[in-house]
Amino acid sequence: MDTLAALAGGFATALTPTHLLFAFVGCFLGTAVGVLPGIGPALTVALLLPITFQVPATSAFILFAGVYYGAMYGGSTTSILLNTPGESATIITALEGHRMARAGRAGPALATAAIGSFVAGTIATLALTFAAPVVVELALKLGPAEYFSLMVVAFVAVSAVLGASALRGLACLFLGLLLGIVGVDLQTGQPRFTFGMIEFLDGIEVTIVAVGLFAVAETLHLATRRKHGEDEILPVQGSLWLSKSDWARSWKPWLRGACIGFPFGAIPAGGSELPTFLSYYMERKLSKNPGEFGHGAIEGVAGPEAANNASAAGVLMPMLTLGLPTSVTAAIMLSAFQSYGIQPGPMLFVTQGDLVWGLIASLYVGNVMLLILNLPLVGLWVKILKIPTPQLYAGILVFATIGSYGVSNSVIDLLVMYGVGIVGLFMKRYDFPVAPAVIGMILGPLAEQAFRQALTISQGDVTTFITRPISASFLVVALLLAFGPKLWSAWVATQQRARA
Amino acid sequence: MSLALGRRATLGAALAFPALGAAWAQQRFDSLFVFVPAAPGGGWDLTGRAIEQAARTAGLVGSFQFENVGGGGGMVGLPRFVNQRRGQANALIVGGSIMLGTGITGKSSVTVRDVPAIARLTSEAGVIVVPAASPYRDFAGLAAALKANPGAVPIGGSVAGGIDHVMLGLILKALGRSPRDASYVGFQAGGQNIAAVLGGQVQASISGYSEFSEQIKAGRLRALAISGETRLEGEGSDIPTLREQGVDVTLANWRGVFGAPGTTAAQQQALASLMGAIHATPQWKEILRTRAWADAFLAGEAFARFVEKDIADTEAVLKDLGLA
Amino acid sequence: MPRHRPIAGEVACAVALVVIALGALWQTAVIPTSPIYARVGPTLFPWIASSCLLVIAVLLLVQALRTGFGVEESLTVDWRSLAWVAAGLAANAALIGTAGFVFAATALFACVARGFGSTNFLRDAAIGLVIAFGSYYGFEKLLGVNIGAGILQDLI
Repeated sequence: MDTLAALAGGFATALTPTHLLFAFVGCFLGTAVGVLPGIGPALTVALLLPITFQVPATSAFILFAGVYYGAMYGGSTTSILLNTPGESATIITALEGHRMARAGRAGPALATAAIGSFVAGTIATLALTFAAPVVVELALKLGPAEYFSLMVVAFVAVSAVLGASALRGLACLFLGLLLGIVGVDLQTGQPRFTFGMIEFLDGIEVTIVAVGLFAVAETLHLATRRKHGEDEILPVQGSLWLSKSDWARSWKPWLRGACIGFPFGAIPAGGSELPTFLSYYMERKLSKNPGEFGHGAIEGVAGPEAANNASAAGVLMPMLTLGLPTSVTAAIMLSAFQSYGIQPGPMLFVTQGDLVWGLIASLYVGNVMLLILNLPLVGLWVKILKIPTPQLYAGILVFATIGSYGVSNSVIDLLVMYGVGIVGLFMKRYDFPVAPAVIGMILGPLAEQAFRQALTISQGDVTTFITRPISASFLVVALLLAFGPKLWSAWVATQQRARA
Repeated sequence: MSLALGRRATLGAALAFPALGAAWAQQRFDSLFVFVPAAPGGGWDLTGRAIEQAARTAGLVGSFQFENVGGGGGMVGLPRFVNQRRGQANALIVGGSIMLGTGITGKSSVTVRDVPAIARLTSEAGVIVVPAASPYRDFAGLAAALKANPGAVPIGGSVAGGIDHVMLGLILKALGRSPRDASYVGFQAGGQNIAAVLGGQVQASISGYSEFSEQIKAGRLRALAISGETRLEGEGSDIPTLREQGVDVTLANWRGVFGAPGTTAAQQQALASLMGAIHATPQWKEILRTRAWADAFLAGEAFARFVEKDIADTEAVLKDLGLA
Repeated sequence: MPRHRPIAGEVACAVALVVIALGALWQTAVIPTSPIYARVGPTLFPWIASSCLLVIAVLLLVQALRTGFGVEESLTVDWRSLAWVAAGLAANAALIGTAGFVFAATALFACVARGFGSTNFLRDAAIGLVIAFGSYYGFEKLLGVNIGAGILQDLI
């Protein structure tokens, strides 16, 4: 088989000592920047671009791919340990992961995240190797109408994070939607909710709001309660490693997460956040003990973590086969290709076979490397929780500052983060859930733009959402998710009554 | 937005330029401060880093310092540069046509007019493409459909009011329709525009040539017209210009550098001649080649006049679109 | 059912949400309408989002007045701690633009650590300085990113 022979050639490229070193440096750097909130793989790859002047293309891309995968691993670490999502794709991980850490189960949470990332990353890389062209052609069939219907599915899934009171959860969701509106409207160029400030024209960065709501709010909240001595993180207890029941509860979410995440990477409007919401929702619905969700359910870490890594591999598919970047990191990697005078696209596999297969092989290598790098690190990472509380929280705020200010050099960003943190303090006090706000902020703009793009294309015909078969089936899925369980239990009840 | 620009570049079309600066290397500046009003990795950032790369190799400048302040299409960084670097003789800010539009639509108090024009470096023409299976075989076909009913021809591009939208507006004006009648679909940077036209979701799409070049080469997209003054050289040279096809529209996405406000004419001249020297280095030519950027070198007074005209043109279209 | 005594904080939250929703409605009303041909204008979604928020906020206000949110009783707030942390954040925001990241972060670190009960202010400031300078240096040297040099630019 051609693919296998080419892949073998790729491994020959990837397994040379130099390239192994590049992969290692990439993975290490990626993990490090993934840990820092607000500083993601896109920025890191952008900053490493000058390296393209010095090293051959294959080495540079192996390095970049390492950074990309590594950041996905690293982002989850701070989510779990410090409730400070390093990347927007790991916001969901914080929900259950941090609960686990607070309950002294940081070790298993980190382990299931790392192994799940490995499993999903490997499955997705396999899929990338063998199915890329097919999946990409399918993804192209989706237009704005389909994206909108997909967002409807995601909005239904938000119900899983609404928390104790639907009313308060919905209030947060709509607050998030309003935050997402800030900026220049894509369809008409009009500034919305910018209060005349140029800084707001590009909208508000999701990571800034997430770090504000999670880390800053958490710190302020703990400060208000300090004299009560509660809310202390429990010392790490038991094994750092997964127990038998952890394995049993993790492996299915890993596989399901991989299956949800991978196709999303290929869709231009997918993003890596969306599959994590859907995976979380799915695990919560499928779980035998849904009551544990919100208090540290391991499935809620395993699934979303697998989903975000799989989508990271998925993103490479349209980039390599069509030259189509579906994420910011991919866009910057494309720019790196250009500095070598290489244009990714339909011809890339033919003209640059060595490079592409070397890159794909290095993804397998990188995944193994990250697993080896991360599992021993679990022991080291949990030691972070041993830092005395004053210095730990002071450090968290310093890193939050680096994330929001360091890159943009904008005091406005910093003030937004603090402002959001103060709002978050009140939300915490009166038990408003923060997740719907962040999710609303991510989904809102995607849904709105897709809706309006679809209507411009259909010339105002609203039936476009139900006459296009794929869009219609997404809507059916949304309906089933929303009302299916209730109808099912009603039906079961009538059956039982009939029998009785 | 600037990320999208990073992927835009053009082949060929080197404009005639006066031979400025000495051919041999001689250090002109001890240090140069380059301000990039966009995030790392975008087109402006790459332009700034390319200047560093060429100048350092040739020994024209001792050391470089960079500052990136992104946001608002350059309009967040520009006021900051103007305030902080007033009178600084060795400070440059990277910018380009995108800044003009956002300056006008954002009703910004500080605009490109506040910084002295030093040199234009590169430019990229826009291209109109349709999917391979499209019924529009050539530009005349698309133009006829647009003339009949612009609303029935959804066309994709970047954010509304951006350079792609301005180009569509200019074309509609030339065809005798109002720019407001267009069915323009704005897409977020990140390949959505390419995906939409490849998948036939929109009937046509407008963007920089490099954005579509691979798809055009592979035969999945058909290029109907290019917005440059002349055709591209080499690859893509078979694409006719809009002007050739009876539509008097030329528009290009150019990038260049500006100096600090409050500097003297002599200081600005020194920067312009430094850019001339950088432009003459073989390293610069090499970067242009690998990046597929079209050389559009234009310095000093001529560049300043060009900027003025570009501002006026952009403003006129944006007024028609109700955005100015 | 015994009459519920409204909790001030809950009512305040609900009122704040009502105010935010009204503010959003006002901001939606001032979005310039564009003459561009668009099937759905830029204001539809903002109208939906802000009016839904208004409805929910009013319902929450009713709930707060009649039954309360059912959140556990409030504990007294440790104002001293909170004040130190807030002072740290304020110092950071004020200093970062002028003195630069390193000094702003040092002040932030020391104040927050103090807020959480650390007594050795100087030691904390030293730790903060090391962390801040290390981060600054790492970004500057490894990645070529300037995270707000401030007065440090002239010192080194």
